[in-house]
Amino acid sequence: MDHIRNFCIIAHIDHGKSTLADRLIQRCGAVEDREFRDQILDSMDLERERGITIKANTVTLPYTARDGRTYELNLIDTPGHVDFSHEVRRSLMSCEGALLVVDASQGVEAQTLANLYLAMEFGLTVVPVINKIDLPSADIDRVMEEIDRDLGLDPFESVQVSAKLGTGIDDLLEAIVAKLPPPKGDPQAPLRALLFDAQYDAYRGAVLLVRFFDGTLKAGTRVRLMHSDAEHKVEEVGNQRLKRVPVPELSAGEVGYVLAGMKSLAGLAIGDTLTEAERPAAEPVPGYREAKPVVFSSIYPMATDDYEDLTKALEKLKLNDAALIYEKDSSAALGFGFRCGFLGLLHLDVVQERLEREYDLSLILSAPSVRYRIVLNDDKEVWIDNPTFYPDPAQIKEAYEPYIKATIMTPERYLGTVMELCRERRGVETTYNYLAAGRMEVVSQLPLAEVLFDFYDRLKSITQGYGSFDYELLDYRLGDMVKVDILVNGEKVDALSQLVHREFARPRALRYCERLAKTIPRQQFKIAIQGAIGGQIIARTTINPFRKDVTAKCYGGDITRKRKLLEKQKEGKKKMKIVGSVEIPQAAFVAVLRTEDEDEE
Amino acid sequence: MNPGLYLHIPFCSAICPYCDFSVMPAASPARPRFASRLGAEVSLAAPTWRDPRPFDTVYFGGGTPSQLPPEDLERVLDACRTHLAFAAPAPSVFLEANPEDVTPETCAAWRGLGVRTLSLGVQSFSDEALRFLGRRHTGRQARAAVETALAAGFDTVSIDLIFGLRGQTAEDWQLELTTAVSLEPPHLSCYQLTIHPRTRFGVEAKHGRLSELPEDDQATLFELTHRFLADAGWPAYEVSNFARGPLHQSRHNRKYWNHTPYLGLGPSAHSLAAADACSPARRWWNERGTTRWERRVAAGERPIEAQELLGPKELAAEALLLGLRTTAGIDLAGLRARYGVDLLAANEALVARLVDEGHIVVRADAEGGRWLVPTLSGLAIADGLAAAFDLSLRN
Repeated sequence: MDHIRNFCIIAHIDHGKSTLADRLIQRCGAVEDREFRDQILDSMDLERERGITIKANTVTLPYTARDGRTYELNLIDTPGHVDFSHEVRRSLMSCEGALLVVDASQGVEAQTLANLYLAMEFGLTVVPVINKIDLPSADIDRVMEEIDRDLGLDPFESVQVSAKLGTGIDDLLEAIVAKLPPPKGDPQAPLRALLFDAQYDAYRGAVLLVRFFDGTLKAGTRVRLMHSDAEHKVEEVGNQRLKRVPVPELSAGEVGYVLAGMKSLAGLAIGDTLTEAERPAAEPVPGYREAKPVVFSSIYPMATDDYEDLTKALEKLKLNDAALIYEKDSSAALGFGFRCGFLGLLHLDVVQERLEREYDLSLILSAPSVRYRIVLNDDKEVWIDNPTFYPDPAQIKEAYEPYIKATIMTPERYLGTVMELCRERRGVETTYNYLAAGRMEVVSQLPLAEVLFDFYDRLKSITQGYGSFDYELLDYRLGDMVKVDILVNGEKVDALSQLVHREFARPRALRYCERLAKTIPRQQFKIAIQGAIGGQIIARTTINPFRKDVTAKCYGGDITRKRKLLEKQKEGKKKMKIVGSVEIPQAAFVAVLRTEDEDEE
Repeated sequence: MNPGLYLHIPFCSAICPYCDFSVMPAASPARPRFASRLGAEVSLAAPTWRDPRPFDTVYFGGGTPSQLPPEDLERVLDACRTHLAFAAPAPSVFLEANPEDVTPETCAAWRGLGVRTLSLGVQSFSDEALRFLGRRHTGRQARAAVETALAAGFDTVSIDLIFGLRGQTAEDWQLELTTAVSLEPPHLSCYQLTIHPRTRFGVEAKHGRLSELPEDDQATLFELTHRFLADAGWPAYEVSNFARGPLHQSRHNRKYWNHTPYLGLGPSAHSLAAADACSPARRWWNERGTTRWERRVAAGERPIEAQELLGPKELAAEALLLGLRTTAGIDLAGLRARYGVDLLAANEALVARLVDEGHIVVRADAEGGRWLVPTLSGLAIADGLAAAFDLSLRN
């Protein structure tokens, strides 16, 4: 076990985690140079493009150190976003050490700190890595100071690298071997293996990535998943190189994959513990938590004919995204669709992009919502994440909404505006600390619902891109929610209803009305667009009818052209939704429901 | 109605910056041989024109037909008379002319050819507006031309005017209308300036240096035109056309609006043949460019660029969009009988709403027929109205 090192790389987005992983893989010869593809671990196109890691990937690297011994380095890649913190935790739990990457010019960011705390929570040995030392703007002295002051780590333990150029990679590998501890565990004890990730393989079904804490596992053994209480027969175990390499057995301390004839990822819970069915462990690996969706949105196909395609696409997506949940939904305005639950906004984004890109679908997503806990007058409790099912306000005794603890890092000069943003978004107990000269950390308890609505974009905008943001769920607190409906010529557009804090009902309704007014084409009649809470109108806009809409000339040569135009218009109308006798193009829904906020600038 | 004959004469002394018709500078070498080429097309087209009814209108349009010498116009008419059936004693001839070509002599020559309606491309009586429009005459010349034409004994003299020019106010435009009616032409066409993409104005607009008036201003001028002229005794019979009494309404142009067949000859001219026992209704059009048109005629070919067949669905759509542009409106029984469309039944709620908003009225005629008639505000949005109707066919 002495020759094994299990470690992960943790970093703020853009600090070069994936590039560093690539370099380590390349240096260890796990891949031929000519096969090399940048950011090998990020296997989804989307990940490579966005430069973020969505799903963790893991690789075993053989490394012959300067002491002449060959080590098995298990690099456990962690997802780089807060939405996936559940998966991050499982990954960290599988390691003994972590490389904490800090950008030589950006320095310590909110996420760096959050990640460090997480790593410390799991008792990992942390080696700071200063990356991008080749950049002209690199300020190594300042970053070392930040590592000392903000992270409380010994800056002289840090390794300076340029993952891009490959500088310092050998020193880093030596540091991994020398500074990170080997795993512990008893190969003879009953099997305890932590499921920290799962992938979907079109031919083999679910590929379980596991860390073995105790015991030994071979093909043919019957294993039991302790939390989901399912049994499977192991078909194959092996090392996860860039390809899967089967081995006769895996045992305590090791990291590898397990194939057990599972057709999909459905029902698999990351964090579950594998044990032997015949000789089960007494206790599972601690720390299991169910991944719960926190953000909800309805997805509709832009063209109602595409509903079948959307159904199939979601089924396929679900195969390798166990966290995605969905059920049938329908809207009078938008037809059939699905109500989906996501781990967070980025998860929602990723699902949307994958559906659009990999399955070539055009989608409309309803305004994202959190899940509210509603206590009714008869003390019955209901959970509501869809405005459609919001109870009659007269029936509601109390409504609770989820709060988060947001950690924001910002240059000092934006402190005032950041505090103001938190206040605007109903933040409470907002505090701040000096991290280093000119750098502040703002911590605020915010309703999650307020973060869903363009919070991150606003933060980026008011800090000119320097602000960073991380959050964790706290608890549910009493809130004052109302359901805001949008009416077109007096008729409710169900897909646009949303749950909003009373304080924001009017501005939000007005914004929806204005966006609709901009995107619904003018017609022969005046169109009234209203926002309402119950029967009370709180916002209103009007689309004035055409006064002049006729061409001047219509003689022999103009008639065909005019008729064709008319035919085209009629064709276009078939694609519109009719609400309150007003034709609303799909584009209007898209414009209204987009979260970004360009019309406020 | 009997079919109409349209003859396109593409030549102009200069090309106006707003014009998107098939035009060509009058200095072109194509002009001297144009009459014989057009005559050749007449002889090519005649055998395929199967409508037995004689033509009772002949319309010289352009371009500027007055840029062709009267002798050339006569040659063309002779060719038509030889190969096509003309109504007896003679069809009514329409001629478009530019003010600078109008003299007592030319008027006499045109009268001699049988021209009964002279349509003058006045466009404006204001020198400033005329300069903006790239015209070659002045306001004074325009007035003189109208007076000369009126004195020459044509049945109808018509004046074309353009409104909605950059910076034009309601007062400016009312002054133009006042001048026009003071000359008492029996017919007026008032076109709102339209900026077409492949024109000089179109290029200017693309670069943001020119635009059509804002919609509200357009609406104001449009309503002003209709109200002013109705009050003065020139009620509208179409979106852009006004006449002092039904006899002066353009008999030829009305054929375009009610699917009466017409044969069009010359570059870019369109033709419509009614459905018969062996073919649905058909529209076809000639090569737009004079050079291509000429080359094909010279080769003994019909210079047709393309054609389309018009079934009941297409004809119904056209009847709707054309009918809504006329003050007569849409003959509902006729629409049902000819194309199987019950417009009222298929659009009950819409019609009720449009009536309520004052855009249309449903009116009964003396024979018990019902007509869907646009009001002034309805005429102003006729294109939008046409798009709003459901044209479901009965079968």
